[in-house]
Amino acid sequence: MGNEKKYWRGIGQFADEQAYAQAHQNEFAEHVPVDQFLGDNSAMQDAGTSRRDFLKFLGFSAAAVTLAACETPVMNAIPYVVRPDEIIPGEANWYASTFFDGNDYCSVLVKTREGRPIKLEGNAMSKVTGGGVNARAHASVLSLYDSGRACGPMKRTGDKWSDPMSWTDADNAIGKALGGKTVAIVTSTITSPSTLAVIREFKAKHIVYDAISYSGIAKAHAGTFGASVIPTYHFDKADVIVSLGADFLANWLSPIEHSRQYAMGRKVSKDKMKMSRHFQFEAIMSLTGANADERFPVKPSKLGKIALEMLSGTSSDAGVKKAIDALKGAQGKALVVCGSNDPAIQRVVCEINKNLGAYESKIIDIDIPDNTHQGDDETFAKFVKEEMSGMGAVIFYGCNPAYTAPKSLGFAEKLSKVPVKISFADRADETASLCDWICPDSHYLESWNDHNPRKGEYSTQQPAIRPIFNTRQAQDTLLKWSGNNNSYYIYMQNTWKVLFNNVADHSSFWNQSVHDGIISLPTGSAPEIPAADSLAVNKPAAKPEPAKDEAPVEAPVTTGNGITLDEAKSAIAGIKEATLELVVFQSTAMGNGSQSNNPWLQEMPDPITKITWDNVVTMHPMDVKANKLFGLLEGEGEDITVRFDQMEDQLDIVTVSANGHDMKLPVWVQPGQARGTIGIAMGYGRSDSFGNTSKGVGANAFPALGMTSGKTMSYEGIEAKITPTEEKHWIACTQTHGTMMGRNEHIIQEVTIAEYVSKKGQVSESEMLHTYAGEKRAEEVNLWEDHDRPGHQWAMAIDLNACTGCGACVVSCNAENNVHVVGKDEVRRSREMHWIRIDRYYSSDTTPADSDKYGTKELYRLMESPTFDNPKVMFQPMMCQHCNHAPCETVCPVLATNHSSEGLNQMAYNRCVGTRYCANNCPYKVRRFNWFNYVGYHRPMEGINQNPGHNPNPIADDYGRMVLNPDVVVRSRGVMEKCSMCQQRIQAGKLEAKKAGKALDDGAIQTACSQSCPTNAIVFGDINDETSLIAQMLHDGRKFEVMEQVGARPSVFYMTKVWNREEEAGPEKAKGGHGEEKKEAAHH
Amino acid sequence: MRENQTEAQPETDMRNGTSLPQRRVFVILFFLAAFTLFGTNVASAQANGEAIFDQKCASCHMASDEKSTGPGLMGVLSRIPKGDWKYKWVTNSSALIASGDAYANKIFKDYNSVAMTAQSLSNEEIDAVLAWADTGPRKKATVAGGPTGPVAAAEDTGSGDAIYIAVILLIVLILLISVLRFTRINLRNAVRERDGLDEEPAQPFFVAARRWMDENKTKVGLIGIFLVCLFVRWSWYELKDIGVYAHEVKPGVWKGYHPDQPIKFSHRIHAGDNKISCQYCHNTVEKSKTASIPSANVCMNCHKAIKSGAETGKEEIAKIYAAVGWDPEKMQYTGKEQPIQWVKVHNLADFVFFSHQQHVVVGKQECASCHGDVTKMDAVEQQRPLTMGWCVECHRTTDITKNMESNKYYERMHENLKHKYKDQTKFTVESIGGLECGRCHY
Repeated sequence: MGNEKKYWRGIGQFADEQAYAQAHQNEFAEHVPVDQFLGDNSAMQDAGTSRRDFLKFLGFSAAAVTLAACETPVMNAIPYVVRPDEIIPGEANWYASTFFDGNDYCSVLVKTREGRPIKLEGNAMSKVTGGGVNARAHASVLSLYDSGRACGPMKRTGDKWSDPMSWTDADNAIGKALGGKTVAIVTSTITSPSTLAVIREFKAKHIVYDAISYSGIAKAHAGTFGASVIPTYHFDKADVIVSLGADFLANWLSPIEHSRQYAMGRKVSKDKMKMSRHFQFEAIMSLTGANADERFPVKPSKLGKIALEMLSGTSSDAGVKKAIDALKGAQGKALVVCGSNDPAIQRVVCEINKNLGAYESKIIDIDIPDNTHQGDDETFAKFVKEEMSGMGAVIFYGCNPAYTAPKSLGFAEKLSKVPVKISFADRADETASLCDWICPDSHYLESWNDHNPRKGEYSTQQPAIRPIFNTRQAQDTLLKWSGNNNSYYIYMQNTWKVLFNNVADHSSFWNQSVHDGIISLPTGSAPEIPAADSLAVNKPAAKPEPAKDEAPVEAPVTTGNGITLDEAKSAIAGIKEATLELVVFQSTAMGNGSQSNNPWLQEMPDPITKITWDNVVTMHPMDVKANKLFGLLEGEGEDITVRFDQMEDQLDIVTVSANGHDMKLPVWVQPGQARGTIGIAMGYGRSDSFGNTSKGVGANAFPALGMTSGKTMSYEGIEAKITPTEEKHWIACTQTHGTMMGRNEHIIQEVTIAEYVSKKGQVSESEMLHTYAGEKRAEEVNLWEDHDRPGHQWAMAIDLNACTGCGACVVSCNAENNVHVVGKDEVRRSREMHWIRIDRYYSSDTTPADSDKYGTKELYRLMESPTFDNPKVMFQPMMCQHCNHAPCETVCPVLATNHSSEGLNQMAYNRCVGTRYCANNCPYKVRRFNWFNYVGYHRPMEGINQNPGHNPNPIADDYGRMVLNPDVVVRSRGVMEKCSMCQQRIQAGKLEAKKAGKALDDGAIQTACSQSCPTNAIVFGDINDETSLIAQMLHDGRKFEVMEQVGARPSVFYMTKVWNREEEAGPEKAKGGHGEEKKEAAHH
Repeated sequence: MRENQTEAQPETDMRNGTSLPQRRVFVILFFLAAFTLFGTNVASAQANGEAIFDQKCASCHMASDEKSTGPGLMGVLSRIPKGDWKYKWVTNSSALIASGDAYANKIFKDYNSVAMTAQSLSNEEIDAVLAWADTGPRKKATVAGGPTGPVAAAEDTGSGDAIYIAVILLIVLILLISVLRFTRINLRNAVRERDGLDEEPAQPFFVAARRWMDENKTKVGLIGIFLVCLFVRWSWYELKDIGVYAHEVKPGVWKGYHPDQPIKFSHRIHAGDNKISCQYCHNTVEKSKTASIPSANVCMNCHKAIKSGAETGKEEIAKIYAAVGWDPEKMQYTGKEQPIQWVKVHNLADFVFFSHQQHVVVGKQECASCHGDVTKMDAVEQQRPLTMGWCVECHRTTDITKNMESNKYYERMHENLKHKYKDQTKFTVESIGGLECGRCHY
């Protein structure tokens, strides 16, 4: 625009424009002397290195590098300098110990290899858990190697944590900070007499708070019997069990113990043709509800009224009437349990049980109280609201109220007023993040302790490894701070001298107890609660204690008076029904969330929803429709069906508001959910600092908890409101098909107890096949020659009557067989690696018998949809069936999978080339393919994996890797794997027998799943041994094989499920069987 | 013809100086013959007692008064009965025992009823051996790192012979070629001389060879291809050996990986000379799947007292002291421990499960079956290929009938097998499923 001004780029251009322009043409401002060596021919020719030389050097270097690379790397072997006496490299050592995290109690045996705990198994000597372990206890061994744990004591300044410091520094600093202050210590339930003594010696106000509280039961018993105790229950002695929302098989009180007892009452045989009858009234579909003979979905607000009706003995409701009749018919052999924490409802239940004679017959034993849940909500709530902010210092041990306490308590705000806040948490969890100090407690596998779960029942806890990080067990820390220089190990022994003062030889008693892990005193001879001053032996002589007014060590002090029946009745009358009631429940995998960062548990499919890596809002289909959510529904009006085939789609996210707390979670259509209720599992939605695995998984439901009129935490019947959002969420569900499509006979056979009795136990049905020689039973038709089994023939029996679907076997198998954790995104692609899965089937309203009503397509669509009001549920553990004529073996092009002379379907990983033909040809779909090298697999998937970029596989972590079983190969990319029936255990068991020079004992070899099953539903053995249990089960009238008509001759067989329910009329009866289907069709 | 030539020889010799080639041929033939004879003489001269002892006796006998599998041979001549007894015993001891000879039976009983392997030695040789050993004790100097076991020794001489012969053949071949070449030139010159032509100008060998190669391209090509093939084949097999710790020297004889260890621990001194049982150090072999490399404190059981080794003096033992933290001056532990990083010699792949206790306790295998005779090794060497084929071979051939009869665990299995395979008396590991994938791979 007429701008004639000229700008120079520099003085050079101004001075000599022409030269500048010339120079400007050059690529490089500075002269590059290429021509010095390229332009000069003679220089090039005289150069020391010719082109040929260059090629020679190149060739030689390439060859040299290649050849050098051919050498196998040098392997070093580093033996111990001084090998500990008890360690034999290559052999496992077992230590008895106890798992107790304030929620689950389990007496365990710890398997260690070269000093590393790698597996937990049940301690069969325990009278409480009897050798059973649940999924959460199993997975706790992996929590030991959680790299998210704190590496030492840390101090917080602002939002930043200091680097881990030495314990001396921390002790000095904290000692100064605590000086002269009133201190309160908030703990979860402490069952350990020695720990209680330590806490008492520390002279602080002791508040017991459990995230999952049962104080309602204690209060009710205080009102009924004047003793504020939680009794022990004996489900095995009950003929009729009525549960009002108590998930006693998976979570309630002592699930491992209850599962074992329950299964004892449910198992049938020729000698015992009767079983207990189980009614369940509940809002969510719980594991226990799924196992019930009769299940009735009810809103939580109705539970109190149902209890009252049961007490009065009359009801207008058909379901309740049925239960009342059953209870009446089993006077003295009936049991009612209730999952509510409302003392009012529990008080009524106490009264019902009293009337039923359950206390008299010791089905409920109040003389042997359960010490594992002593949390007192009222005291805790009062402490938080009124006393905490006035404290000089608060210490948190084994509890995490910032995460688990109801929002209404305003815990975080009150805590901020406390000058000194210390947490013994093993990481910067939600409460610890609010504290000034973290003094990390050691993992239970690194610590000494004793436990007293029941009156007269003691168990020990011993370290199986030295602390991995610079942690110190809380008891030692407290002792130090109390000025006691004894280690807790010594302190514990001293306590025992007082506790078991009638023992003559303490040192051998101690050794025996630590060896067994169990001290079982004869009933009634519970040790004298040691008088406080007698424990002065623990204290340094310099500081004699005035120990007069101290509480006894063992006493579970629960304050508050009991509730009378009348008060209870009026309280129940005051319970209002809400339009939408929220139930906050424990999921089978996550429990109270103390192990949220455990990848085994995160990837364990929920027994009911089969969802991994998420918590969801479970909702009845009609409620989903009413809230205008798409969910997985199809159809119009009332005629909707649940589309299970769409479970791979994204789910709608809703905002759930309850008690002032908002949770954004995807909606899951849950058949069997009571209408007008939603369920959300607790234990999810951890803070980012809790760990990489739990980061971003789900939402926390604890703050939504309410308080009952009886001043206890309320977990159900919470008034809630949902607001749909536009957001969607990927879900990783392992079972996207919910029904058996009318093929029950081929998959799970079931009968009622009446039929079982009338057929004298011969109930299993065999498929009839058409052959040239007429119709034959499938087992008589064989396409192949039978194989030689000169030695053993391994087989497995699964009693569907005992299996509750709890999933303990899944985690146990994970630990034993180094099964990879693949992460949410991979699970969503059906690439989970679990060797054992538990199939869950819902019943459907539509059966093949309805074929004349609908067209084929419509029929199948309806058959795919479970009954959504109240489906019957079946569980079936499914793993490699070790077929004797295995379809996978015939298609393997490289013979990587083949059969052993012991009946095992073997898988040679190093031979496998990964064609996956075998998986295609497997009728049971139990083969798992390593799509990636999951050891070093990082696949950031924004929006699908909650924590993109983090590989949750423990094997990918330097610490997590220590949990690997050295006897099992870690499979790499591109190979197929599957259940090996714990071949490593079989080989080891055989070797023991060979070395002893005797025949193999039945039961000497247990697979990981059979060992860990709390109900003994899985039996493993040698059917060539005529005397073995498995050989007898083979001839039982309930034995059937899954998909027998395929002719694969599986080595795993199942025992028909027997229900204690009445025959169902109508189409239900006809579901499945071809024969019956034909008959039905003829009738039409 | 030949006669003619030889007869003509002096004539031509006398006639002119061109009879050089013939003379050379003769000389060469003479030397060859002499060399062969001389060679044999040397061999027979070496057939002395010591050599025979090393070859035949040393695996079971010591040339001192120490007992081994058999008695030490020092002073043997004064112990044994006079006369032919020694010949009978050495050549067929079983027959002598069976004949009821008192001394033979005594020896037999004293040494765990293991009959001495019959040796095919002449009486002179037996005399030589016994004479040599009788005057012991003699200490055998062993070449460090060299395979000196009976099998290895035999194999060594074998391969030595082969090279010896190859070298001689090569020399003979070269000589033959040059002789023939000269003969040919001389003959041609003789013809030319006869025809009155000039002598052909002498050509250097390489020029001649090149010319010949130019003229015979097909032959050269074929030979070239043949040589290239040979070379490729050789390199292929050489390359295959890279990284594999053991390779086959001769069919059935393996030799291989013997890395330097951080401490020059000698199995020959400990297990061989001092006769320390394998299980004294590898003490978990019967309890575990691993035999375990002994922890350093095991060394201290002896080396607290033995502070100086026979061959390395204090140097190597000091390394043990450093590892366990032992102050030899003050005779006390310092607490500063430093684990020894041994180099693993016998290394199985991670996907193989191998159990020592299965093989040693149940299978009653000797350590040497897989590890070779370590009593002869300074640095341990992997003498077996440890490949799957090698494992399988042993499982196919090892007769375990006796093991099955003596172990109640196998009772039912054995009955079933006997029932099914009525004519079969010998059962191998394979018969009881020892070749199935799942036995080792899981």
